[in-house]
Amino acid sequence: MNLSGVRQRTAPVLTIIIGVTCAVGVLVSMLAMGTGARRQEMANILADQAALITPGARYGQSHISRDDVAAILGLPGVQKGTEGEPIVVFQSMVPIEGRRRVTGNRIYFPLIGITPTVTQYQPQMRFTGGRMFKPGLHELIASSPCVRQFTGFEIGDRRAIHGSDWTIVGHFEQGEAQQCVVYADVDNIMSAFSRNTYSAVSVRLQSPAHFAAFRDAVRANPALQLEAQRQGEVAEAGFKELNAILDFVSYFVGIIMAIAATLGAVNSLYAIVDSRRSELATLRAIGFDSGAIVVSILVESILWAIPGALLGGALAWVLFNGLSASPFGFSFQLAVTPSLVVFGIIWALGMGLIGGLLPALRAARVPVAAALRAT
Amino acid sequence: MRYLPLIWSGIWRKPGRTNLIFLQVSVAFALFGVLQGLKTGVEHVIGDARADLLLVHSSLNLMDDSLPLGLFEGIRSVPGVRVVAPVELFGATYQNANQKLGVVAIRPDEGWLSAFTYSIAPDSVTALRSTRTGAIIREGLVKKYGWKVGDHIPLMTTTAQMNGSTDWAFDVVGTYSDSDVGGGADVLLINYDYFDEARFARRGTVQHFNVAISDPRLAVNVADEIDRRFANSANATRTDSLRELAQSQLQTIGDLNFLIRAIVSVVLVALLFATATMMMQSIRERTPELAVLKTLGFTDRAIFLFIVVEAVAVFAAAAGCGLALALLVFPFASKIVPGLSMPFVVVALGLVCAVLVAAISALLPAVRAAKLNIAAALARR
Repeated sequence: MNLSGVRQRTAPVLTIIIGVTCAVGVLVSMLAMGTGARRQEMANILADQAALITPGARYGQSHISRDDVAAILGLPGVQKGTEGEPIVVFQSMVPIEGRRRVTGNRIYFPLIGITPTVTQYQPQMRFTGGRMFKPGLHELIASSPCVRQFTGFEIGDRRAIHGSDWTIVGHFEQGEAQQCVVYADVDNIMSAFSRNTYSAVSVRLQSPAHFAAFRDAVRANPALQLEAQRQGEVAEAGFKELNAILDFVSYFVGIIMAIAATLGAVNSLYAIVDSRRSELATLRAIGFDSGAIVVSILVESILWAIPGALLGGALAWVLFNGLSASPFGFSFQLAVTPSLVVFGIIWALGMGLIGGLLPALRAARVPVAAALRAT
Repeated sequence: MRYLPLIWSGIWRKPGRTNLIFLQVSVAFALFGVLQGLKTGVEHVIGDARADLLLVHSSLNLMDDSLPLGLFEGIRSVPGVRVVAPVELFGATYQNANQKLGVVAIRPDEGWLSAFTYSIAPDSVTALRSTRTGAIIREGLVKKYGWKVGDHIPLMTTTAQMNGSTDWAFDVVGTYSDSDVGGGADVLLINYDYFDEARFARRGTVQHFNVAISDPRLAVNVADEIDRRFANSANATRTDSLRELAQSQLQTIGDLNFLIRAIVSVVLVALLFATATMMMQSIRERTPELAVLKTLGFTDRAIFLFIVVEAVAVFAAAAGCGLALALLVFPFASKIVPGLSMPFVVVALGLVCAVLVAAISALLPAVRAAKLNIAAALARR
């Protein structure tokens, strides 16, 4: 019943909606960074993938000796590949310098020495051009984001690494991953960089349920100073730091903007209540009690917050969903998911509720006689 | 000046509304201060990074590859080079795997300090020269673990010694401070010669060379000359000044700048709209009073100015308050992004933005107030 007078108070209502739109839009867009980064990190990970790491080291920074290879290949629960070999991937990672296509800026990307079993370890890995590297040759294959972002990754291009030329022979896609990676034969990389330890070892298990047997076998082998973890947990742990920063920044900015928007809403609602003094007094005079008035103002305040929230979520989706961002050196696509939008709406309802409280109380306390006498 | 009481009473006509606007603007500008301060702080970090200090590392990458110590003479003979200092870096842990430290192995030769951003007391350097297993610890780190001079600290590493052990121990001989924000907090300096003789693999190699040059303006020429000397060899080098390195590091947070700009403009636009409607509302309520002022002989111009000055005054005061709040918050923000500070420029920029937003949002209401028809306004039509 109290919405009938909307036309006379367009400006304050618009103020509430715009304030809420901005606050929700910014919060949802910023949280979309974290969601996008997480989605990308987890997208290519299968439940049957596990990793062996040096206790205490981050993934990719382990030191796994060549002497352990035979013991690792003999572990139980590991899936067998097409030629009967266990699907175990030995890696050695070296950051390499590249140049951005548009700006010409230098940037680092990982050159990963890897065993050819990687194609069976990552079933979503697909060649878009060229072929797999041949073991023993100085050949590289690059993921398609490299080709898009950096110069010097066309098939046939040569890169000088430690005094010898390495040729790009293939391009591949890795599902949703947006990161540029370059693969080469692991033994070649290790001899070129005079390394004697692998920096990461991953395996594909027969099924996710085989993990317990696999982990126990690693523990039971005293020669292996290693720890087995599910690949999902490893990614989660590696991602924790970035996630914490993104979340902190998002909520810090989001809360401050929510406070500002709520203050704006309070002011607008006071204005609305003031302009309706005689109307509210009439309602009270004809028998509505102050509880009903409070509820009606609160409902109105929440009602104005909802279009703001929807608009904010929609704007975040239109402007930022799928946009590539690379803060803190990671690059990923922002993901505005339905659950984020729902969170934005709840956030806005909170703003509406808190913002409506004081004006609602004032409305309920309008002295009937005085308000009715006023023009 | 004599109109001040009039404007003052205009501001406090509805104290509740003014207080709310004041709070809203304060909060918005506190956010403005923190975000903008972050951005400007980062730019200052680049500006402060030394341009006369070059880092010579392998052309392949900065962190992981090594160069032979033999390049030392070749680099030193490049014209313009003052001091060359070999640097080897490795990671270690203290007591448990979560307490990570960085170890920097250096040669405390004559003049070595000018090739670093460290400040160390002279007797600590002398002590390091005379103690093979000596270590100079960064100030914060000493406090963190309560170490003192003379302590023997065992570290776990992944670097094997000749005897096969990967545990190393060093004797604390002094402390240092570092003006470079990228230097890392938990770092200790040790003797390169001792480390190199004692380790099992990769002997005679360094991560990079620090090079101090005589004229910072020649940084690019000297860097190019060094790289030219070793081009096409198995140890091609890549030389950057500390400033260039800071720049490329901060490019990775380049998208953050876009984000900050976007948020700040969204906040200002929302604020603009909110104040404009509030001023409109206020003018509508004050129509009779404004008409009385006009009847008393105040010109249209004067009324216009009253309204604009009212808005600007509230905004400037609130923005000042918000920016002061940001200054208080900043020490916490700089814990997450080390080495940042909020320069005065940000405060000035914030105040200018506040005045602009206030003036623009007051424009329409002020025009309306100035154009008021006295007779109609007094009759409340």
